[in-house]
This record gives sequence, structure tokens and C-alpha cells, in this order.
Amino acid sequence: MKSVMPDMQPMNQTVQETPQFRVLTEDQIEQIYFAALDVLERVGSRVHQDEALQLFRDSGEAVVSDDKRVRVPASLVERALKSYPRKITLQGRNGKRSVALQKDHVYFGTGSDLPFTYDRKTGERRRTTYKDVADAARIVDYLPNFDFFMSHGIVSDAPNPQTYDRHQFMAMLEGCTKPMVVTSVDGEGLEDLWKMACLFQGGEEEFRLSPLFVAYIEPISPLTNDRTAVEKLLFAAEKGIPAMYTPCPSSGATAPATIAGMLVQSLAETLLAIVLCYLKKPGMPLIMGGVTTVMDMRTTTYSYGAPELSLASAANTDISKWLNLIMFSTGGCSDSKCLDEQAAIESTLSLLTAYLSGANLVHDVGYIDSGVNASLESLVMNDDIIGMVRQVGKGVKTDEEYLALKIIDEVGPGGEYVTHDHTYEHWKEWFLPKLMDRSDWETWNNEGSKTMSDRVNAETQRILDTHEPQPIDDATKKALKEIIDAAEKRHSK
Amino acid sequence: MAVDLGKMADLLIAGKVEDVSNMTQEAIDEGLKPQEILDKGLIAGMDVVGQRFKACEMFIPEVLRSAKAMSAGMDKLRPLLSESEAKAAGTFVIGTVKGDLHDIGKNLVGMMFEGAGFKVVNLGIDLDTQVFVDAVKEHKPDLLGMSALLTTTMPRMGEVINALKEAGIRDQVKVMVGGAPVTEEFAKEIGADIYGANAASSVDKGREAIGK
Repeated sequence: MKSVMPDMQPMNQTVQETPQFRVLTEDQIEQIYFAALDVLERVGSRVHQDEALQLFRDSGEAVVSDDKRVRVPASLVERALKSYPRKITLQGRNGKRSVALQKDHVYFGTGSDLPFTYDRKTGERRRTTYKDVADAARIVDYLPNFDFFMSHGIVSDAPNPQTYDRHQFMAMLEGCTKPMVVTSVDGEGLEDLWKMACLFQGGEEEFRLSPLFVAYIEPISPLTNDRTAVEKLLFAAEKGIPAMYTPCPSSGATAPATIAGMLVQSLAETLLAIVLCYLKKPGMPLIMGGVTTVMDMRTTTYSYGAPELSLASAANTDISKWLNLIMFSTGGCSDSKCLDEQAAIESTLSLLTAYLSGANLVHDVGYIDSGVNASLESLVMNDDIIGMVRQVGKGVKTDEEYLALKIIDEVGPGGEYVTHDHTYEHWKEWFLPKLMDRSDWETWNNEGSKTMSDRVNAETQRILDTHEPQPIDDATKKALKEIIDAAEKRHSK
Repeated sequence: MAVDLGKMADLLIAGKVEDVSNMTQEAIDEGLKPQEILDKGLIAGMDVVGQRFKACEMFIPEVLRSAKAMSAGMDKLRPLLSESEAKAAGTFVIGTVKGDLHDIGKNLVGMMFEGAGFKVVNLGIDLDTQVFVDAVKEHKPDLLGMSALLTTTMPRMGEVINALKEAGIRDQVKVMVGGAPVTEEFAKEIGADIYGANAASSVDKGREAIGK
């Protein structure tokens, strides 16, 4: 005899939509924040750019010493912090506003400017070219789990190192229709990239509403700001271009050997930019960042695979959320020289941690060789890892449909679920691997005993052979070329 | 209005069990030849399902739904097929050996065979050797499938094969064995004809072994 199903509407429920992950408590965040304010008041930060120094002097609050050290009172920092938007939505040249940068929304993308590449034909390590960047762009355009694109490689075959950034951006645009994070040589370079992007967005004002890119800018740890970085910041502030000022401290070398100490210093570096951009023109989206990791004490390598990178980045993300700032974080990268087990292990750990932390832009996906070598295969492998990581983020639903009490009742002991409607409806919520092999031994053996790296290679080649991104129309292409040609002309003198 | 067998195949691919069943009946009522309904409707649809499954465009829950539709159509057709036509579709007897209560893998294989148009006799689980022998005598299947998930119950499959020999009916049927611990090597060792590594390849190998 079947018993009656129980009532499935309990009271006083707290439901967790997704897993919850946090490294720091609010008290700890405050300790780090107050310490960073103290660093800015006592130690300060050195600024090698005249307009910026003048802005600090003119504020009547910051103190500028003869050695270009700028010290800033907490009151000014706190006023400046209030002037930044908590959200900005990026729009690729495909017209999709696909990257909504706001608290706990996570997007994945590549890193930029890797000097070397393994040639896919010869296997030799060589300098990265325009074509390599365009290929990486096409791969990222295709891969569904990549949301934004950074150049991956650096274009080393451009006519002039002072203008390579325009060519690099062109290669990125040709291959990829998604939103981007761009690097530039200096303020003038950023201006050209911004003009190029405005051609797609429909002008300056439209760009401000739906930017095509975020400008990547970094200080030099500890507490130093070079001329070109500050130029870029000031230009971004003036035009309302979203920018990130992302410290790259190496714990034990250019920052304290403790994670908390590294975070204090890196926050002080960020807060200086927060004040500077506020003094220039309040309102631009300034994104907090940081590749916060350790220097390996055997090799002196700045480690992209260390678990400390993941832990410190997640803690930094906790701080960013408390400060109401958008966060640029790191994951999917490795110190391994090739795409091997080490690369897979390190990439997975940092991707999962960054995702759970709720960082907004998780970059450097696909880096191998500690940010020196480019690997298209690594991008392809990481796409599947991101898929798995996102699945973990989906959490567990516990309502009536998901508890499936009725279904268990129907199937009963010794029955089967595989032909049940409930299975037919819900199995599609599962992660569907593209590259992970789950076949039985015989099938795997019959199909050539392929390893992960065999499958990754084949898939990479397939994408390169087949994926054609939406083309850029001729008129826009011509206008882009005019901007690049003008830059070449200016710099050939 | 003539029944469109191409549409029937599409419905089968979409896993519309009742629609396929109804349409089979309509086709029969209109006087279409059972063999034609089978070939151009049901089997044509299942062939596409098989291809899509191999290309990772369809997955087990969908394939099984199509298989169920196939089976529903076959239920209507089988009584109308001539003896030789019915035999051509094939009969498959399957069960899990003594001491083993694992059911799902064996059922999956059975469902896949139904999808391929076979008449499937599912004997159940935890079966005495004699049950297999009796079933082969009674149903005269083309194929006998045995499943074991435990290394401790695996040897029972060899015992069934020996019992078939003793009963003098070993040559009447091709024997297929499967289950997670079973290997090609083990299958040979105990004198089975076919090793089924997974549900889909079992059907392919089974058909090949009996020439269908």
C-alpha cells in the first residue's frame, strides 16, 4: 500500500542559491584597509609624472615631497572611494552587452602580451607574432566559456615597438568579437585604442555607456608609479574609460612575505590611483586588481601556479567587494613549461578558487611558463575546466521538484530512473564535458588510446581550421587602418 | 491520406512514444506492408538515432526514449510479420547471474536492443543457471546476454555456458557477456562469443555476430 506524500512547504527556510566562499571576515578586511590607509599617510607612494604630482599638490590635502613621494590623508581617500561606479557592462564588437561587471558576477578571459609561443608546426619556441594573436583571438571567440579577451601574446613583428599596441589591438579585433581588456604602450597608445573602439561602439558617449574594453594599467611594486602608467590612468579618467590599476607584487620580493602584508601594500597602491583619478575627474570606472603571488624561493620565478596566488586573490576579492569596487583577478595559469599535468592541476585550482570568490574578471587563463609562453592548447583545455568550475557554482536546489520525493516513490526499490521523465528533464542541467574522456576502456583503446593532450591538440586544430569570426566591415576596417597609419607616421619622425 | 513514414521516423527520433505507436497502427490500417513500415519508418529513425548518439548529438535518456518508441511500434508490427520477417528482427534474452542484484546495466543493454528492433526477454537478476538454460530452450533467442558487476559473481557466467553445452544447445545461440569487471580476455576464457563493453557497442557487436 502506498503511503501519502508529506507536505512539501516548510516554514522558516534559509536557502542557499549557490555555494558560499569567503577568506576574510569583515573585521580582517577592516584591519587590512586601515593598515593601507596608514601606509598612504606615512610611507606614501612615488609618482613619476608631473601632471599627477601637480594634481596632488593642488588638492591642498595630499603632501608631495621633493623625492616625488605622495602621501594622502584617509579623509581624501574615503571621499575618492565614494566616486566610483559599482557596475559597468562591457559590450563586444558583436553588439552583445555580455560582461556585466557587478558584485559576484564572474567572467573569464585570457592574459596578455606573452613574448613567446610554441610554433604549432615546428614545435619550436619563438617570438609571438600578429598571426599568433589573431589565432588566439579566434580561439577565444569560439570557446563558449571565455567571456573576454586579452591579447594572450604580444605582437613582436609590428613595424615599430612604440606603436605595436595598435597592431595588436587590430589582431584582437579581427579575431574576436567579445569584450576585451587591452594593454597599451602609453597614454597616446591608449588614446588610439580608444578611438579604434569608439568606431565600433558609435562614439565617445556610447563607449562610456557600453565600453568595448577595460584598459589594463599596473603600478610597480612596491609603491611606485611610472610615467606611462600614470599617463594612461589620467587619460582613462578624463574620457571615462574603464581601467584597472592592478599591482603585481611578488610576496617576499616586492611585497611582504605574508599574504596580509602583501594585500596591505597592494591596496595602498590601488588607493593611490583611486585618489589620483578622482582628482583628475571623478566618475570613471576604476577596477581593483592584483596578481598577488609569491616569488619562488628556489628559482626567483614570479609564480602563476602557487596556491598562495589563489588564496591571496580570493582574499583580495573579499576586500574589493567590501570597498564596492569591481575586481580583476587571476586564474587558469601555470608555471609549467608545457601543457601537462602540472598545467592542468595549477589551472584548475586557481580557476575554482577565483570563481568561488566571486571576482569579476578572471584573467590570465591559458598562461603557461609563468606568464612567458603562449599556448592555444591551454586555452582550449581551460575552457572545459571553466565549464566544470561553473557547474560547482550552480549549487544544490532543494525544492519539491529537486528533492524528487514523488519520483523516488514511483520508481521504488530495484527500479530505474534512466527512462523516467524526471531524468529526461533534468540531466541537461549537468556539465557536459567536451574533452574529458569518460568512455569504457575498450572504447578508449579502440579509438586510439588518446590522452587529454591528444584531444586538446585535435580540438585546437579543428577550431583553427573552421572558426571564422563575424568579419569587420570594410568602412570600419579602413577607419581603423587610418588611426594605425597616423600613429606610424607620428612615430617615424 | 497516406501515412508518411519519413514523419514517423522523425517522431521516433524525437522520442514521441505514443505518436509512433499510433502512427504505426494507422499505417497498418491503411494496408502498408509491415516490413515497409519497419524499414522506412522505425528502423530508418533508429539508424539516425544511432548515428547521432555516436556523434555525441544525442544522449542516453533521449536514445532510450526513441528506443521505447521503436519498441512500441514493434509491439504493433510483430504479430503481423511473417515468421521469417519476425525472426529477422532477432530475439535477445538477457539476465544477471546468481548472487548479483545489479540491474541497471543489464536493463540498459536490453533497452538498446529493443531500440534495434529485437524482441527482448529480460529474465531479471540473481538468476540460477538453470533459468538461462530454460530460457534458451523456450525462446530460442539469437543472442543470450549475461551480466555481472562483481568479480565474485563473474565465474557464474562460465557455469551457464557449460550448462548450455551439457544441455546440447550451446550452438543454438551466441553468448554475450558484460559488466564493469568483465574483459574481452575473460569472455574468451569462459567460451563466450561476444564481449559487450557498453550498451551501444553491445548492440553493434551482437548484430554483427548473428549477421543482422
